[in-house]
Amino acid sequence: MNVKYVNPFIEATRNVFREFVGLYVKANKPFIYIPNTETIKYDISGIIGLAGEVLGMVVISFPKAIALKTVSHITNTEALMFDEVAIDSIGELINIIAGNSKKALEEVKIVISLPSIVKGYNHQFAWMSGVPVICIPFDLESGEFYIFVSLKNLII
Amino acid sequence: MKILLVDDSMIMRNILKNIISDQMMVDTEFKEAPDGKAAFEILDHNTIDLLLVDWNMPELNGLELVKMLRMMDKYKNLPILMVTAESAKYNVMEAIKEGVTDYIVKPITAAMILKKTEMYIK
Repeated sequence: MNVKYVNPFIEATRNVFREFVGLYVKANKPFIYIPNTETIKYDISGIIGLAGEVLGMVVISFPKAIALKTVSHITNTEALMFDEVAIDSIGELINIIAGNSKKALEEVKIVISLPSIVKGYNHQFAWMSGVPVICIPFDLESGEFYIFVSLKNLII
Repeated sequence: MKILLVDDSMIMRNILKNIISDQMMVDTEFKEAPDGKAAFEILDHNTIDLLLVDWNMPELNGLELVKMLRMMDKYKNLPILMVTAESAKYNVMEAIKEGVTDYIVKPITAAMILKKTEMYIK
């Protein structure tokens, strides 16, 4: 795995959680994610498509409790459900993470899409065929969330 | 003073509004738009003193809005702060080339927003 292309997403996630959410998160060891075979569980995801000189996707996926905790910190109010505010917050969160990751990836010109949100227990994504997906688990005080990165021709 | 906040994230608009209204010494009226197209309509019917604009938005994005405004005489000197997650140097250069007055990379801090806002409303 070429960490050169994974580290920017780890750094951006740490920084954005610290500065935008107000929470410290710890990155665990990234691994190659094989869809439908892993035991990780999540309820909501924010997705950004990457285009330009790369083709790919960066996704943040949360179990419900961790998502609501994150949204509560962003908005300074208690989030109880995946309403318009929660969806807006998670969209903005992945937008800032993707945008900030570009700073350390300037050798390739990347255009980021608008965020999309998917809800539902263990929803699946149609990842690009033949392109590896790297999963970076992050620890938050009371659980884990995940950043998935898939970049054609760049990661491995 | 009238500030127009243009961002497709309502959360972001609220954060900006709270920072500026809580700590600025001058009376401020806010107008809000979720995209460049809606912003253009607001600009058409109001005298705006400062524009804070995101880059990535549906309909008309922030950069396209800036390009359009700078082609019109009445907006040539309007202070425009781009507040965006786009952190690459080539993005900053492109935005400056198209006419943004200043550029702030998200995540923002209150100090950063106040410093820049105060700089352009004087």
